[in-house]
Amino acid sequence: MAAIAPPRENESPAPAPKGLGTGSRPPGVFTDHLFRWIALASGLLVLAILGLIAYTTTKNAWPWFRAEGFGIFADNWDPPKGQYGAGAMIYGTFLVGIIALVISVPISLGIGLFVTEVAPRRLRKPIVYTVDLLAAIPSVVYGLWALAVLTGPLADIYDSISSATSGIPLIGDITAEPSPTGLSYMTAGLIVAIMITPIITSLTREVFATTPQPLKEAAYGMGATRWEMIRGSVFPHSRGGVVSAVMIGLGRAIGETIAVALLIGSSQHISAHIFGPGDTLASIIANQFNEATGIQRAALIGMGVVLLVLTVGVGILARSFVNRYDRKSGAVA
Amino acid sequence: MQRSFVRRCGLVVAALALPVLLIGTGASAAPNTGKLASATLNGDGSTFQLGFNQVVIGSFKPVQKAVTVNYQGNGSGAGRTDFVNGVVDFAGTDAPYKSTDPQPPKPFFYFPTVVAPITVSYNLSDVKLKLSADTIAKIFSGAITSWNDAAIKTDNPRAKLPSTSITVVHRSDSSGTTANFTSFLTKAAPSSWTLGSGSTVSWPSGTQGATGNSGVAKLVKDTDGAIGYVDFSDAKASDLTFAAVKNSGGKFIPPNLGSAAGAAQGATVNPDLTYDPINATGAAAYPITSPTWILVYQDQSDANKGAAIVSFLNYIYDQGQQLATSIDYSPLPKSLLKQARAQVKKITVAAS
Amino acid sequence: MSTATVPPPSGGPSLTAAPHSRRRKLSNAVASVLISATFLIALVPLVFLVIYVVQQGSKVMSWSFVTDDLPFVDRLPGGGMGPAVVGTLLITGGAALMAIPLGVLGGIYLNEYGGTRPLARLIRFLAEVMTGVPSIVMGLFIYTLVVLNTKERTGFAGALALACLMLPIVIRTTDQMLSLVPAELREGSYALGSRRVRTIRTVVLPNAAAGIVSGALIAVARAAGETAPLLFTIGVVTETNTDLFKGQNTALSVQIFNNATSPFTPAQDRAWGAALTLIVIVFVFTILARLVTAFFARRQTA
Repeated sequence: MAAIAPPRENESPAPAPKGLGTGSRPPGVFTDHLFRWIALASGLLVLAILGLIAYTTTKNAWPWFRAEGFGIFADNWDPPKGQYGAGAMIYGTFLVGIIALVISVPISLGIGLFVTEVAPRRLRKPIVYTVDLLAAIPSVVYGLWALAVLTGPLADIYDSISSATSGIPLIGDITAEPSPTGLSYMTAGLIVAIMITPIITSLTREVFATTPQPLKEAAYGMGATRWEMIRGSVFPHSRGGVVSAVMIGLGRAIGETIAVALLIGSSQHISAHIFGPGDTLASIIANQFNEATGIQRAALIGMGVVLLVLTVGVGILARSFVNRYDRKSGAVA
Repeated sequence: MQRSFVRRCGLVVAALALPVLLIGTGASAAPNTGKLASATLNGDGSTFQLGFNQVVIGSFKPVQKAVTVNYQGNGSGAGRTDFVNGVVDFAGTDAPYKSTDPQPPKPFFYFPTVVAPITVSYNLSDVKLKLSADTIAKIFSGAITSWNDAAIKTDNPRAKLPSTSITVVHRSDSSGTTANFTSFLTKAAPSSWTLGSGSTVSWPSGTQGATGNSGVAKLVKDTDGAIGYVDFSDAKASDLTFAAVKNSGGKFIPPNLGSAAGAAQGATVNPDLTYDPINATGAAAYPITSPTWILVYQDQSDANKGAAIVSFLNYIYDQGQQLATSIDYSPLPKSLLKQARAQVKKITVAAS
Repeated sequence: MSTATVPPPSGGPSLTAAPHSRRRKLSNAVASVLISATFLIALVPLVFLVIYVVQQGSKVMSWSFVTDDLPFVDRLPGGGMGPAVVGTLLITGGAALMAIPLGVLGGIYLNEYGGTRPLARLIRFLAEVMTGVPSIVMGLFIYTLVVLNTKERTGFAGALALACLMLPIVIRTTDQMLSLVPAELREGSYALGSRRVRTIRTVVLPNAAAGIVSGALIAVARAAGETAPLLFTIGVVTETNTDLFKGQNTALSVQIFNNATSPFTPAQDRAWGAALTLIVIVFVFTILARLVTAFFARRQTA
């Protein structure tokens, strides 16, 4: 964890390399302290910004909290009638996030493993650049492309799945009432999955790549197949990093605004029908903020606060997960 | 020493003369002949008037080369709020300030610019629909679910209506178009329309939401049996079929520039030039007609900006009105135009 | 040959079965196929999307499209995306200049100095929380804080909003990548007499450089494509504005959104042209950054 204290330069047997100096004050002390404070200040900046965001948004959202109380969780968003419950949007945010993770995480891990373990060395850079291309595409383009090209075929697919599973007790209820336009939780979740894949892939790839070679060779030395080596050496080493990457991906998923706004169908009712329309916190803010006044405006800002709290909750969950595994290397235990 | 004194005197004289000149030109019938000093006018608000504003700004630029006008269509609500906060020099809005909204801190004016109809567009082959307000209300609130319903038959006795189910399409983003459409339903069919009126309403589940007029238009176009409400200009661009709507006089009126102007004519105009053409009286009035205004403060403290705003408004009321029809907006009726022109003269521009 | 009698680490595969039994060979093969398949699955949407954007965007693409001023009337053909290209480069560049140095420094603090201290743990946690703030909330935040107080929309306000979006990603990835540098390397450097700053500068950072650059690029790519925060903060213009601090501005992402949601074909064509331009800009930048990093890394470790 902490660094071993550097030796005093006067006791160094070899001539001191350039930069270590021969003055009476240990060289680099000032730089060290200065740098430390600069780095600390940068870290504190995060605190300051987040604190400011939390403060200004809560202040502007206060009329909503005061007017609704616990009603903010109710499933009754109806501004003309003075009802501002965000239940449907909270539910939608979770649902889209889960769908996105379920689709994206296995694929991202797979690509990460592909790049570091399976693919021939020469192909690594091109593959990395290709996956990066996915990240280079702006979210609005994803949304517009899906709207132009995917929603039609998806509507047909949802229809077929829905009729095929209509009899089955639990699944049939979930797949019922597909949207004729394809705008749904599922479509939004699918596109978000595509969007967060390059992030999760890129980070897990880096983590996988730093698996210590001796660890891998030890596994092979014991006769493991490549898959067994991955399970035995790479995964345990990478657990913390993978969870961290997934958390960043999830953060992006629940915060994704424009693409979801275009694809989710904007229906503010809680519904189990994943092939039907819904709404999320971020997308309703984008859709309704410009025309909103009064309590509706406070409510929309308040939903931003709810999103912050949601992310905190998810973060706590993830942290408890990560703390169970040691970080095998580096300065942090 | 002496030269700079003379120069300073000259500047003072010019400074005193300029506002006189500008106010003078503002009052004349040809206000755009004087070349204005460099100024940038930033405005935002209603997306309904965005198309019109773009054409006017584009034509205004060669006339006053030193003036740059930027207009962002981010919604009437945003426009009204930004105007109150002083973030913009002028704002566009489809609705006046509500008493519960934060009000502008200084005296300001509503300047009406154009009107246009909101169409009820649908996707049914070979059917020319006539719809009463009551039927529309029932369709959009989910009470009527298929096209061969009795109520639709009553409105269209001679049409051949299929048994297709109706797919209702509405706006997912909040919009003045939704506000005006639901305002019409609340006024004209209060017993059948219970969802209230506003830039967003709680549409029943099973309806489809799309982003923007173009989103609604595309969904209606692509889905058999769909029906939705779309601004006239965008509906025409998307090649949609629209219904004739029954007005307060009992006649079925199709949406076009003439019937929109008829609605504006039939509405009562308040002294501040706000008016409500929704469900207006008038034999030829189309009942779902949308008004729109530009908001400007009465006292312009920046001389260059003030002069530019005055010039811009006068341009809207001269050449602008003639440009309107070319992009499917209806110019103001003559009486309203006269009142608007008179109101421009009430703007006071500070000396530079 | 039978394997060791020491039980494998918990969670690892059981190696006491006969070496490379059919079951193990099968599961290995299946895993390899699945892993390779994931890459192809990821390729499918990418290929379709890029083809679509190139198809649609090439209808208007030309040098004049990338440099001309925006048209006054977007429902008519003509005009170009010049001001939006300049705006995107300026605003994203400004955001990167603010967020990347601060983010890397913050990540260094968290990993090299903060460790497991409470303050560092709090900052780490909050940085994670911040990655979940939706872009639109950032836009509203900067609108309330900056635009309402300065009473004008500027490119700088947009850059601030984007920087706030980028900062937590850069901090988190820097922190993560630095933690992967083996302790032995640091200890070796200290043993040679280096102080902490020198160690960070000469040993830790070069080792983690590839990962840190990855994180920074992800953050920049996201910022360049963001629409919602810019909608509230930068306004709109038709002529190029190179001043980040004075006057409104525009960006490719905003232009894409506004034009694509128009029902008029010339506007939609322009939207896809802008999309193609933006993707090319971001992609080229990504490749350049990776090449530069690889070049410097080779020099360092040579």
